[in-house]
Amino acid sequence: MSSDPSANPIDPEPTPAARDGGTSDGDRHWRFSDLLADPTVRERWEKVRRYFFLRESTYDVATRCNLRCDGCYYYEGEKQFVSECRDPAAWTELMTAEKARGITYVVLAGAEPALNPEVIKACHGVIPLGAIATNGTMPISKSVGYRIHISVWGDDATSERVRGAANLLDKQMDIWAGDRRAVFVYTFTRHNVDQAEATVRRLVDNGCEVTFNMFSAPVGYTGDLRHTPASLNETRQAMCDLIRAHPQKVLFTPYNAVAHTHTRGLHDLFGCTYPRRNPSQLIGLGRTFRQVRANMEWDRDAACCVPDTDCDDCRHYAAGSAVITARLQRHATDPARFRAWLDYVDTYLAVWVMDYPKGSTLEVGQVDPPPAPRHHRLEAQ
Amino acid sequence: MIAESTTPEALLDETAQRVSEIIIDELKLDDVTPSTFDADLDLIDELGIDSMDLTAVVLVLQDEYEITIYEEDYPELKTVRSIASYVLKRRTA
Ligand code: SF4
Ligand code: SF4
Repeated sequence: MSSDPSANPIDPEPTPAARDGGTSDGDRHWRFSDLLADPTVRERWEKVRRYFFLRESTYDVATRCNLRCDGCYYYEGEKQFVSECRDPAAWTELMTAEKARGITYVVLAGAEPALNPEVIKACHGVIPLGAIATNGTMPISKSVGYRIHISVWGDDATSERVRGAANLLDKQMDIWAGDRRAVFVYTFTRHNVDQAEATVRRLVDNGCEVTFNMFSAPVGYTGDLRHTPASLNETRQAMCDLIRAHPQKVLFTPYNAVAHTHTRGLHDLFGCTYPRRNPSQLIGLGRTFRQVRANMEWDRDAACCVPDTDCDDCRHYAAGSAVITARLQRHATDPARFRAWLDYVDTYLAVWVMDYPKGSTLEVGQVDPPPAPRHHRLEAQ
Repeated sequence: MIAESTTPEALLDETAQRVSEIIIDELKLDDVTPSTFDADLDLIDELGIDSMDLTAVVLVLQDEYEITIYEEDYPELKTVRSIASYVLKRRTA
């Protein structure tokens, strides 16, 4: 593997796969067909590639929220001040147009989408694949077959302090435990790493699925939740411990942990492909992605899944799901890196697509993110 | 692989034929054959393939022609003919 001195350590003991030559071998050129020679790898490749048709855009369906959290990226920048279209017929019309231009997957966000239940139903009625990013304090109609991502920012005391909400986890679990749409998204900040173990255990004991996010500072953020190299390292270790402790319920893999806790952010590591950072409109996210605001307008210069987030600090799970997945070619260099990518994409699909069954983690040992290609001159995808 | 061909045009046609086969195979296009595949069809705008599918094709092309295809060149790979032309350019680079 590359020995990037800025990479922090993970799992110091190599796995059997790593000892058997499963790590990057800088001297050997691996053909893609060689990478697929392992039947387990081929099977996983065939499984994930069936979802290459997914083409996402995101939609703010509400400007209001019943909470007000420190470090919320929604209440930064211009998008919070637009008018909120609450007319389901207008959203049906918009979604019909989105479908016509090839969008197959929607992420409904906001502020708090659950405040506009009829709009959610209207969107689902046109594009049936998607996810809703919610604080989980309000139910969402059972008829909406989207993944529901419920944000968790630490234990009860932290939630009360940072989000102003008492007994938040109990309230969220009362509504969502047992609902197969629900995925609880634990966001690691600089200050809640030590709360993850007990919080995730509470969720898992109640049958809930969990994945991880990283606090990624909004532009101009001056609060103290921003990660430091030390907290990144602690977070990586905590994530790996939780993956090992709850392999069935924690939807994350060691490579997710490496990529999202690296001292370099996602844009620096992979080259973000969202329009905000990608001038190319010819292919991929640069061509099709829109971040539509609550007034149904969008701005190419601001369009990404987490607008108003500081790109240098962006380790957001939604960003990684798109950006790391798009970098297939960079990962198809050797068995370990390719397996890590397959793990990553398999996990992303399990988190974002209803009823997608996550496979077991392929053994890869320690895998660092790939270096940027030598000839990389433009953001091309 | 690229066989001996007499003219550049014949070589381009032959390569385009093989590129068509790879695309049909990789993208599991049931309703088209290499002989009916329009070599000038816009794969993105008209066929609707996108970056992930294109990357899968790229990986197979790299194996087949023993070339490296650069990420920043993806926008050049718009049609079967432009892919064939790119492959031939990279083969001689
Ligand atoms: S719940 Fe979400 S949208 Fe609402 S203030 Fe908190 S982070 Fe922002
Ligand atoms: S904030 Fe993240 S997802 Fe958005 S443009 Fe920057 S790097 Fe990309």
